[in-house]
Amino acid sequence: MKLAVVVQRYGADISGGAELHARYIAERLARHADVEVVTTCARDYITWKNELPAGEEKINGVTVRRFPVAHPRNTAEFGKLSHLVFEQPHSLNDELKWLEAEGPASPALTRHLQSVASAFDYFVFFSLRYYHAWHGARAVASKAVLVPTAERDPAMGLAIFAPVMRGARALMYNSFEERAMIDALSHRKGPGVVVGVGSAIPDRTQPWRFKKKFNVRRPFALYVGRIDENKGCAELFSHFERYSVMYPHGLDLVLIGSSVIPVPKHPRIRHLGFLSDEDKFDALTASDLLIMPSRYESLSMVALEAWALGKPVLANGFCDVLRGQCVRSNAGLYYESFEEFAEGLFLLDSTGPLGEVLGRNGRDFFRRHYSWTVIERKYLEMFDRLKREPVPELEPLPGFFARRTRNLPPGAKVIAAVPSGPAV
Amino acid sequence: MADLNVRSDAVDVEQIMKGIRARIREKRGADYTEAELQQLATVKLEKFLDPKSVRSDLVEQFRKSVVVPPAPNFEFGETTLYETHRGAISAIRKLFKPLLKLFFNPDKITSALHIQSQVNTQTEQRLRRMEERERLSYELLHNLTVELTRIGIEVHNLKMRAESLSSRMDFDERRARAFEAHTEAQRVAEPRRQMEARHAEPRHAETQRTAETQRPPQEQQRSAEAPRTDGGVSVASGGGPQPSQGPRGDGGRRRRRRRRRRPGQTFGDQQNQANAPGGPVGMAGAPADAGGAADDGGGDDGFDDDGGGNDGGADGGAESQ
Repeated sequence: MKLAVVVQRYGADISGGAELHARYIAERLARHADVEVVTTCARDYITWKNELPAGEEKINGVTVRRFPVAHPRNTAEFGKLSHLVFEQPHSLNDELKWLEAEGPASPALTRHLQSVASAFDYFVFFSLRYYHAWHGARAVASKAVLVPTAERDPAMGLAIFAPVMRGARALMYNSFEERAMIDALSHRKGPGVVVGVGSAIPDRTQPWRFKKKFNVRRPFALYVGRIDENKGCAELFSHFERYSVMYPHGLDLVLIGSSVIPVPKHPRIRHLGFLSDEDKFDALTASDLLIMPSRYESLSMVALEAWALGKPVLANGFCDVLRGQCVRSNAGLYYESFEEFAEGLFLLDSTGPLGEVLGRNGRDFFRRHYSWTVIERKYLEMFDRLKREPVPELEPLPGFFARRTRNLPPGAKVIAAVPSGPAV
Repeated sequence: MADLNVRSDAVDVEQIMKGIRARIREKRGADYTEAELQQLATVKLEKFLDPKSVRSDLVEQFRKSVVVPPAPNFEFGETTLYETHRGAISAIRKLFKPLLKLFFNPDKITSALHIQSQVNTQTEQRLRRMEERERLSYELLHNLTVELTRIGIEVHNLKMRAESLSSRMDFDERRARAFEAHTEAQRVAEPRRQMEARHAEPRHAETQRTAETQRPPQEQQRSAEAPRTDGGVSVASGGGPQPSQGPRGDGGRRRRRRRRRRPGQTFGDQQNQANAPGGPVGMAGAPADAGGAADDGGGDDGFDDDGGGNDGGADGGAESQ
């Protein structure tokens, strides 16, 4: 079997959620099939500048083929179009312009996919909301397997995406919530399975080494990821500062990851910057719990890693996916207000056995659903199943005038109408 | 108050969250939504409690902003209309004044403008007085606002402090409860064994005593004398309970009181009973209580063992009377 994994960025040092997901999947599937990665020369997910050389290279034994991006993102133009398609009635043409502005616009990549379509059994596309996935999945629709990594954001409410969701051969969802959302948006009938992704969990971690190295003496809650307002960090800081007043002997907060917004100077908040995987896993083991303040997550890998290491998670309850995972796994609490945040943190801090029990549940949950054997089996079974399934017809784009008629509802309105809540 | 008990692996996150929400509702006293709370908080902070919004030089700023030059006015008399600094022109105007009066009556205009000038002056004075009053009332209002803000902030701080103290107390209380629950769980695991051990020991002592009564008198005497050589501390000869078993010591004291209540029994009888084989042995010549006082556990335990053997009869006797 020959597979192509198509993703917007790819590299051993690129640690974005979907990109890392794609790399893990490519490397794992390479044990069972001939896998080639098709990607762009971009490294920065905001500008999409061509920073890596075009052509072929090998990363961890997997062939990677890069194609240049035609133009970097014009942020002003993209912002204007985003406002138009998310907030106002617009046309299909506006949405296509938005997709082009969002990037990474690489017509060369799409042409390549068309030219090699017959050489591959399936093309696994990551991140539907980007140019490469939408155009690629349309170019080779009969062999397209989508890993949408769709979050509950207005972009998913755009009309251009529903036909691609319906036309793809299979959808590999990250969570039940994502599947419910996509089903509601596209009314898709074809095959799909909730898979998610595993992680490279080390066999042995050294929490004491971490504590000694970074001089961490008190028990702490951990946040791992980009320190960004979009990730809910501003709210986290605000909540934690209030919590630290309420509970002077409570947990400290340790942050790992590069910061986009300033980290408040607070005696109980420590920012350690970007750390190696070894340090990260040691930190997870040394922590009392992991906090996930993001409202928009299609799958939180770091939450899965925390569960794999037997640590409970305190997640943002407005994120359906995280909340659903907490409930299904019985391995984490969630909050929707400061009071719930403080109570949750307090419970996991003061009620020692609770954290332990939740952590144990998390470890079981990870082993049952996110171990690599389970994930690989789900992918391989899906590829087998697709051999027997009929190939759906891809709906063509509307005509010249229909594309220019401003009769589409705002994306935010569409997504707001989709039923929310955890799929329990 | 909804408390959380973790007694098994089967925790239910949704139940825990319900518990958390119930606690929050209890604390709030009313079930506001987060949006409502945010709105309330914003209103308070913006309008009353934000010290940054009150500038200390507000009055100065106000004074600067209200300093307005007086409005232009004029004085109007009977001759104002004909006044000029040029003598020739003044003479001509006087010459033609009757001619002018032939066509219209300038005295009326003069009179009206004179009144108007006076009205203007009075209005100006009134306005000045009003401005003075306004300045005073503004200053008063400003002072009131500052005071109110200060009081508001103080109230807020006190509330925060009260909340912090109550949280600390809550934290300590719940932590203590968690520890208690943990200890209780450990204790619950072995109560039966402890109870059995506690009951087995008197039985064992009784068995041993029975065996001793069946032994020859020489042996009995040896075994009764043996503890007396043990440093003078009362030690039970029949392998009584360990000194750490406090409650048993209390029981011993209770039984001792009962014995004292027995009618017709003398102190000598009690001593004889205490020195009986298998019973406790006090210091030579000292009353039995002295042993208990010297070594609460050992002395009492020894007494207790004895009591265990004779208690039935004693209590029974007491009850039968």
